[in-house]
Amino acid sequence: MNTPLINRRQFIQIIALTSASWPLLSKADKLILGQKSDEVYKNLSDPWLSLAEVQEHLFPADAHSPGAKDINALRFLRNMLETPDIDSEEKNFIIQGVGWLNDLSVKNHKVSFVNLDSDEKEKVLRQIESSRAGSRWLFLVMGYLIEALLSDPVYGGNKDTKGWKWLEHIPGFPTPTTEQVYFKLGQKTNINTRRRTKS
Amino acid sequence: MSKDYDVCVIGSGAGAGPIISELSKQGKSVLVLEKGPWLTEEDYTKDEMACCRRSTYTPNLEDEQHVLEEATNNGDWISEPTSESGWDFWNGNVVGGSSNFMSGYFYRIKPKDFRLLSEFGPIKGANIVDWPISYEDMEPYFTKAETEIGISGKIIPHKHQEPRSTEDFPFPPTSEHPIVNKIDKACDELNITSLPTPRAILSKPSNGRNSCEYSGYCGSYGCHSGAKGSSRAALLDAAVLTGKCEIRPNSKVYKLKSNSKGQIVEALYYDINNKPQSVSAKIFVVACHAIETSRLLLASNGPKHPNGLGNNYSQLGKNLLFSGGGSGTGEFHYNEMDKLTASSMKTRGPFVNRGVQDWYYFNDKEFGGHAKGGVIDFLLRHPNPISKAMSVKWNDDDNLNWGHNLKRDLKTVFTESQDLRFEVFNDWLPTDNCFVSLDNSIKDKWGSAVAKVRLGYHEHDLKVGEFLSAKAENVLQQMGAKNIRSSVSGSPPANLVAGGCRFGNDIKTSVLDSDCKVHDVENLYVTDGSFMPTGGSVPYTWTIYANSFRVADIIKSRV
Repeated sequence: MNTPLINRRQFIQIIALTSASWPLLSKADKLILGQKSDEVYKNLSDPWLSLAEVQEHLFPADAHSPGAKDINALRFLRNMLETPDIDSEEKNFIIQGVGWLNDLSVKNHKVSFVNLDSDEKEKVLRQIESSRAGSRWLFLVMGYLIEALLSDPVYGGNKDTKGWKWLEHIPGFPTPTTEQVYFKLGQKTNINTRRRTKS
Repeated sequence: MSKDYDVCVIGSGAGAGPIISELSKQGKSVLVLEKGPWLTEEDYTKDEMACCRRSTYTPNLEDEQHVLEEATNNGDWISEPTSESGWDFWNGNVVGGSSNFMSGYFYRIKPKDFRLLSEFGPIKGANIVDWPISYEDMEPYFTKAETEIGISGKIIPHKHQEPRSTEDFPFPPTSEHPIVNKIDKACDELNITSLPTPRAILSKPSNGRNSCEYSGYCGSYGCHSGAKGSSRAALLDAAVLTGKCEIRPNSKVYKLKSNSKGQIVEALYYDINNKPQSVSAKIFVVACHAIETSRLLLASNGPKHPNGLGNNYSQLGKNLLFSGGGSGTGEFHYNEMDKLTASSMKTRGPFVNRGVQDWYYFNDKEFGGHAKGGVIDFLLRHPNPISKAMSVKWNDDDNLNWGHNLKRDLKTVFTESQDLRFEVFNDWLPTDNCFVSLDNSIKDKWGSAVAKVRLGYHEHDLKVGEFLSAKAENVLQQMGAKNIRSSVSGSPPANLVAGGCRFGNDIKTSVLDSDCKVHDVENLYVTDGSFMPTGGSVPYTWTIYANSFRVADIIKSRV
């Protein structure tokens, strides 16, 4: 495995040097657990608009299987970025990476990422992947996407257990309630529940 | 001077539980200082995000970490902090320790494991010694653990069966996955004895604990039903009910303070608000994970112990052990089975429960005749779906896998086959290149030096591991598995660690005496896996439980 392990500060520096800085979100997003969360795709603006497009390109729907939107991948990602122990550098990195992505789209194709066709999107994303920081950014976005597909629906992804059903996965029991999600356990017991591994 | 408690125990896992339970049942006042939080059965769900994707049960590596030293090709040692490598060496920092998250394969070590040097002779570069006690000394405590912890199994006579004082296990085997019939048939054809694997999981309710619910998610998960024989479920809950045992979670001990006579007077710790606190006791028992136990003793210098407790002969932290061996996989493709067989192969819940001990000892010219081997265990691929999906995150060109290719690969890995795995356990020989020291350049969140671990291994371990792996592959082959592969390496499994405070009769070559008391400290015992001078060729938990019951009897006669 060639897990790119680069110091996070380096990514931020690379981003700062190579892209127009994305304005950080000014107010806290809302963390909505469970399934009443389709609204997340309504009236999207950036960075979420671009991130939703990236997710759908990385995990497209087809006739027999769900895509990123079907599993509510954006809701999951937004939830995770609002968890109390989220690494703020990681959060900023994901959000700022969107600015970088659109800079590159405009530079290569004169339009922002959402206006590219599928082949152009593929080219831009593969170009981003060829840099160390870009590869790390995609690695994180992919990680959250796979978590959205296969984690318990309580976290906001895996809508109607579509991910589990598609992959014929049999979940264990009991499953967590909204009060038993990991970051609430962490708050209750005074432990830091940040990402466990970098993979 | 009066002491706050009769006994203060640092840690609450398998090495601590028997001490805590036995002494509080006897009416002694026991204080448990546990670094992690107190999670109960209500908190444990089958949530992969909690167990495995986030640091819910183990520290975040930026707060608390290790520094690992590995050999380069030219023989130098390079060190890397785990916050940078991501190589997590924690196993479970909660009340009950990592026994909450074990899969519960329970094997006794065998009589010859207590005298590895006498039986098999020296191996160049390995610090092999005999234990200062015998299997006969330990046998009553292996037996005690069977009922106290709750071990389910069935004795099938075989050539390496260790002697037992009881006929069979107190609980029948847990339910078995249909694939065991294929394993049994293949072993039969190969003239190999297929043995039911004993498990520290209740197949019947006992002592207020439920029997297993067979959700199919055991290892890495805390048990919801109480069936898994964690120190918490099997021992601590009952100890608290005696009214004599107090558990203080979120309490991180950073130093044991000793006086001019070399006795321990206080344990110094940080409480849940990170405030320094202290507590006194007549006897102190340390059992907080082999690496962390050595770290605490190294950090606890005092007037009589300038280099750490029990380190006046530079033995502390030395001869750390992991488990030798490796693992392998074979695939059984559903499209090559009839529908009924395929559906039974897809069963989720019951255990595979099969192992092979035919080569625990063996004769082979390549190994100089009579040699020590180990155990082979069969198991299904871990059901965690996120981790399974992550296994196809890279494509063949080492680029990120996405789009329709990713979806195709996911569908394949999830739906086309049942994968049977095996694990091989053989001795990790003690050497001068596997030890714990302190790294003063990297501190934990409280400002204490973290443990630095040198991860050297002995080549002989790989040779034995490969020998056993080949035998296991034969079984998979005979079963008709496809795409069989295995991997044996000197990379240490972080969840199978022991040694560092080996016990022995000579203070110059060991840290603990045969009672697991630090040789030159009157009131300090170590009862986790640290005491083992050699580990046997099995997972360590049963040995740790049994030894802790043994030491509990010794301490009972003192306080």
